Amino acid sequence: MPIITADNLVKEFRLPKRYGGPLGGLRTLFTPAYTVKRAVDGVSFTVDEGELVGYLGPNGAGKSTTIKMLTGILVPTSGMLEVAGLVPWERREENALRIGVVFGQRSQLWWDLPLIDSLRLVGKLYRVPAERYRRNLDRFTELLGLGAFLQTPVRQLSLGQRMRGDLAAAMLYEPPLLYLDEPTVGLDVLAKERMRSFIAEVNREHGTTIILTTHDLADVEKLCRRIIFIDQGKVLYDGPVQRLKEQFAPWRELVVQLVPDGGELPPDELFDLPGVEVARREGAKVWLRFDPKLIPAPRLIAQVTARCPVSDLAIVEPELAGVVRGIYAEREAALTP
Amino acid sequence: MTRTWSNAPAYAEVVRIGIRSMLAYRTRFFFSALQIIVQIYVLRVVFTSVYAGQGSVDGITLRTTVVYLTLANLQGFFSSSFLDYFIRSRVREGKIASELARPVGFLGQMLALQIGSTLAMLPLLVVAFPLAWLVGGMSGPASAGYGALYAVSLALAYVIIVLLGLIMGISAFWTLETTGIAMIYSLVAQFFAGALVPLWFFPGPLRVVANLLPFQAMGFVPVSIYLGLPDGGNPLAALGLQCFWVVALYLFARWFWGRAHHRVVIQGG
Ligand SMILES: Nc1ncnc2c1ncn2[C@@H]1O[C@H](COP(=O)(O)OP(=O)(O)OP(=O)(O)O)[C@@H](O)[C@H]1O
Ligand SMILES: [Mg+2]
Repeated sequence: MPIITADNLVKEFRLPKRYGGPLGGLRTLFTPAYTVKRAVDGVSFTVDEGELVGYLGPNGAGKSTTIKMLTGILVPTSGMLEVAGLVPWERREENALRIGVVFGQRSQLWWDLPLIDSLRLVGKLYRVPAERYRRNLDRFTELLGLGAFLQTPVRQLSLGQRMRGDLAAAMLYEPPLLYLDEPTVGLDVLAKERMRSFIAEVNREHGTTIILTTHDLADVEKLCRRIIFIDQGKVLYDGPVQRLKEQFAPWRELVVQLVPDGGELPPDELFDLPGVEVARREGAKVWLRFDPKLIPAPRLIAQVTARCPVSDLAIVEPELAGVVRGIYAEREAALTP
Repeated sequence: MTRTWSNAPAYAEVVRIGIRSMLAYRTRFFFSALQIIVQIYVLRVVFTSVYAGQGSVDGITLRTTVVYLTLANLQGFFSSSFLDYFIRSRVREGKIASELARPVGFLGQMLALQIGSTLAMLPLLVVAFPLAWLVGGMSGPASAGYGALYAVSLALAYVIIVLLGLIMGISAFWTLETTGIAMIYSLVAQFFAGALVPLWFFPGPLRVVANLLPFQAMGFVPVSIYLGLPDGGNPLAALGLQCFWVVALYLFARWFWGRAHHRVVIQGG
C-alpha cells in the first residue's frame, strides 16, 4: 500500500509584474499583469511505507515546490495528492501531525531563543505526552550530540548544530513520514556522515518513510535504493539507483596500468577498438570507457593484454555523480541553441 | 470544540514563546518606550503653545487635552500589535512555512504570540507610567463608572488593534513587499486613532472620515470615555461601535485568511 500517491501534480506560480519605488507594492497589488512559471509540471509517483527515496534534480527543478505541496502549505494548481489517506492542503493540521519536515535552507527554530525552547514548543504543538517527550529528547540529544548547545540561542549556533537541532525538532514527535529538503547542505564531511547514519537509522529502526532531496550524490548512494529524478518540473527517471546508471551511463571503465616497453609508452591509438574510447590518461595509467554490449569485459581485457604489457587492471562502475553530471550536461547542451 | 481544548497547552506554550522572544529584544523595546515618553513631552509642549494661555478651546481645557494625549500614547504603545510586522517579514523570508506546517491553526498561533508579547511588555509600565505622568499629565477617570467603562473599552480596543494587525499581516500574502504600505498604514492609523491630535479638534469633514474608520475605536474611544466624553456623546453608544468593529474585523480576518491560505506562496527554495 503506498503511503504517498501523487498523480499529475502541477504547480504554477503567477509572478506579478513588479513596480519599483516606495509605492511599488501598492501598484503591484492593483495590476493584473503577471507571468506564469510552471514549477512542477505533471509529476506522478507513489511511495510505499518504509521507503527512503532520493528526490533529485538540478537547481530549480521543482523539488522544494513538490515538498511544500506534500506538507500541505502549498496548494497545487491541478493534480491529486494523497498522503496517508489525506489530501494535505485540505487537512493541513491533521496532515502536519504525521509528518516531519526539514528545510535545510531555513530553520523552524526560534532564532533568538535557546534551542531547548523550540524543542519544548514542538513537544506541546504536537501533543507529545510529557514522558515520551523526555525519552525522545534524551535520545535525540545523544544521537545528534545536542547536549552542548541545548541552552544556546539558535542564532549563535553553527550551521551544522542548527541543522541537527532542526532534525530533532522534526522528529521529536516520531512522525511516520519525514521530508528532508537538503538536510546536508553546507555540512562538513564528518557532520554529513553523522547526518547520514542518523537518517539511515531512523529509516531502519522505526520504518519511517523518508523523502530526501540533496545535491550531494554521496548522500543518495549511501542512503537511497530508489531515486526520482526530476527536471523542469517533469519526472525524468523513477527507479533504483543502479538502473539510472545503466540507463544514462551504459558504459563502464577499465583502468589499465601499463608497463613501459623499453622506456616507451604505447600511444592512445593502440586502444582503437569498436565501442572503446580513452576517457582519461595519466602517464602509464589509462581509463578506457567501454560499452559492455559492444565489447564484453573479458574480450576487452584479452585484447588489451595481447597488445601491450600490463601490470594492473580494474573495472569501475560509473559513479552516480559522474552520471548525473552527464545528464545535466546533455540538458544544458539541449537548452542552448 | 474538543479539539480546541486539547490544543490549550500548545497555545499556552506559544504564549510563552511570545513572551520569551519579546524579552530577547528588551533593549530595543526599552528605547521605543523612551521614544513614546519623548513624544508625549513634545505633544504637551505643542498643545500648550496652541492654547496660548486660553482656559479652553472648543470647551475643552488644556489639562484635559494633555491628559488625553498622555494616556492615548501610553495606551497605544502598550496595546500595540507586532503581528503586522511579524507576519510580513516571515512571509517575505519564506519562514512562514514553519507556522503553516504546524498542527494547530495559524490564526490561533498568531493570537497566542501577540498575547505573549503584550504580557512581556506590561512590566515596563512600572517605569513608563510615572515617567509619562511626569512629562505629560495624568488624572483619575472622570468617575468610578467611567473608569469601569474605560476598562471594557480598552479591552475592546486591544482586540481591534490585534485584528487590524493580523489583517495587515495577512495582506502580505498578496503583496509580499509592503514596506511602503505598512509605513503609510501606521501613520494613518495613528493619526485617525487620535494619538497626535484628539478627534474633538478635527475639522468637520475630517471628523466624519475619522468616525467612519475603525482606528478611532483603537485609541480615541477608550481615552475619551476615561475622561468622561468631554466632547459629548453616549458611552454605551461608543462601546457599541467598538463591538461592531470587533465583530466586523473578526469576520473579515477569518474570511481574508481563508482566501490567503489557498493562495499561499512560500518564498525561496
Ligand atoms: N515563490 C515562488 N514564486 C515564484 N516562482 C517560484 C517560487 N518558488 C519557486 N519558484 C520557481 O519554481 C521553480 C522550482 O523551484 P524549486 O524551489 O521547487 O526548485 P528546487 O528543485 O528545489 O531547486 P534547488 O535545487 O535550487 O533548491 C524555479 O524555477 C523557481 O524559480
Ligand atoms: Mg530546493
